[in-house]
Amino acid sequence: MPLFLTQFRFELVKMFSRKRTYIGFAAFLLMEVFLLFLLNLPRPKANFRHIIEQNGYGFDEFYSGYTLAMQILTYTTTLLGSLYLALIAGDLMAKEIEDGTMRMLLCRPISRIRVTLLKYLAAVTYTFVLIGFIGITALIAGLAYRGSGGLFVMAPQDGVFALVAPDRALGLYLLGIPLLALSMVTISCLGFLFSCCNMKPAAASIVTLSIIFLDFIFRTIPYFESIHPFFITTHLSAWIHIFESHPPVLRMIEDYSYLIGLDLTCLILGSAIFLQRDLK
Amino acid sequence: MIHLERLSKTFGARPALHELTLDIPQGQIFGLLGHNGAGKSTTFGMILGQVFPTSGAAFIRGISVQQHRLRALQGVGAIFETPAFYDYLSGWTNLCIFTSYTRRVPESELREAVRFVGLESRINDPVRVYSHGMRQRLALAQALLPRPDLVLLDEPAEGLDPEGIHEMRHLILRLNRQHGMTVILSSHLLSEVEQVCDRIAVLNQGRMIFEGKWTELMGDSLRYRLDAEPWDAAAALVAARPEWKLSPEKIVTAGPGHDIADLVSGLVQSGIKVRAVEPLKQNLEEIYLNLVGGAKSTPSAT
Repeated sequence: MPLFLTQFRFELVKMFSRKRTYIGFAAFLLMEVFLLFLLNLPRPKANFRHIIEQNGYGFDEFYSGYTLAMQILTYTTTLLGSLYLALIAGDLMAKEIEDGTMRMLLCRPISRIRVTLLKYLAAVTYTFVLIGFIGITALIAGLAYRGSGGLFVMAPQDGVFALVAPDRALGLYLLGIPLLALSMVTISCLGFLFSCCNMKPAAASIVTLSIIFLDFIFRTIPYFESIHPFFITTHLSAWIHIFESHPPVLRMIEDYSYLIGLDLTCLILGSAIFLQRDLK
Repeated sequence: MIHLERLSKTFGARPALHELTLDIPQGQIFGLLGHNGAGKSTTFGMILGQVFPTSGAAFIRGISVQQHRLRALQGVGAIFETPAFYDYLSGWTNLCIFTSYTRRVPESELREAVRFVGLESRINDPVRVYSHGMRQRLALAQALLPRPDLVLLDEPAEGLDPEGIHEMRHLILRLNRQHGMTVILSSHLLSEVEQVCDRIAVLNQGRMIFEGKWTELMGDSLRYRLDAEPWDAAAALVAARPEWKLSPEKIVTAGPGHDIADLVSGLVQSGIKVRAVEPLKQNLEEIYLNLVGGAKSTPSAT
């Protein structure tokens, strides 16, 4: 195995050996169960029925395990996922610098660029694992509760209202998970960037979250509608368009190009900052 | 092995190190002595390429650390005052992780390092349950992997109990004597440095105020109790020589590079009976404090 892969494996060992990682995963499971409970309360259920039936579709067909999984996935990721990713990514460099392990590590003939690249890749991997975990467990929970059927997706902010036939629901849902993860990587990358700066790990996480939440809030202000393409959260929701009957492929490519560009900018900026830092 | 060329570092407006020039030959145990904030850790940081010098350069085996850090750090091991580990992982996993940043190390080599520091029975325990002494030993084990020819030890005895200090001293001497490693040791524990180091440099407020052998440092201030007859004649003769100082307690202090034998011979040639010359070993702390105190009054000293 090339040395880089060994080092990367150890980055993952460091990340996945922490108790906090699993406490986080357990928190997500609890959140999913709680959301499932909320979605099955009479009023939210009646609202679903109203919307689906108003559009001429059968409630029993589209209020399925896939629809519930989709709701759980969306809300869990938005509410808890971004918080957790910011927390983990904010820790990546800053915590090692604060604890002194980075000094121990940099006694060795390894370049700082390689260290940042390893951490960055670990952050990306973690994001995919986390979103994958949420997606799959949400699917299991949804299917266990309601069984399969059609998939109903509604995201008014992004202009998405879609009803996916039962035979395409599972495939699209499974395709949506990596796309959502790819979007969420941007939050991890922002966390990584601030983690490279001269600040405490908690500060890096708070700054990352502040940016995402402010961006989201500003996007909802009507006066800023004309500058929607400049908001990060506009592009973060690109994944949801995959569920439309005719996905706007070009727009999605544009959104993901924007996000990947932002991710790489975070990597380059973070590395440049870390390269200049004195470690004491 | 190591050459520091007019190495300076300023943090903001605070100078941490001022034009340090130093040569450390291969195979020595070299001590870097100074109180907290004297610039020892900053010097280590610059040797390891972790702190960027404001001016000057550090070379290991003639390779510039600042320009070719990766090449310069091949064969270098280091430990810090408070060694940091991934506490939630075992000592063994920590060793595997740290060594992977240098090269792939065979398990036998890892086991040998663990045996060398005497951690065999606890190496699979999580580091969070280690005592301070065990952490220091683990730090030493990681510094020895893969086998370096230069080891930098920043306050290795800090926080250790007397038994731990003794063990650490023994390990350092073994590294040098049995494995031929060059060791650079920073400490503010004078007795510790005295017992293991061949040469020392004393730093004070970022400036080097002494560099040489211990004996040279001690020799600079050798004192003797003198008993001679007739005393008045002996005192007059000593007073006539500016390189010697005489106190009312009949203690003569030799200036740098002067031998007491010359003084005794002068006294005898003048017909004075020398009854006793008793060397008075000056307290180590006293020498150090005199040195540091002297440097404070002469800030231009480097």
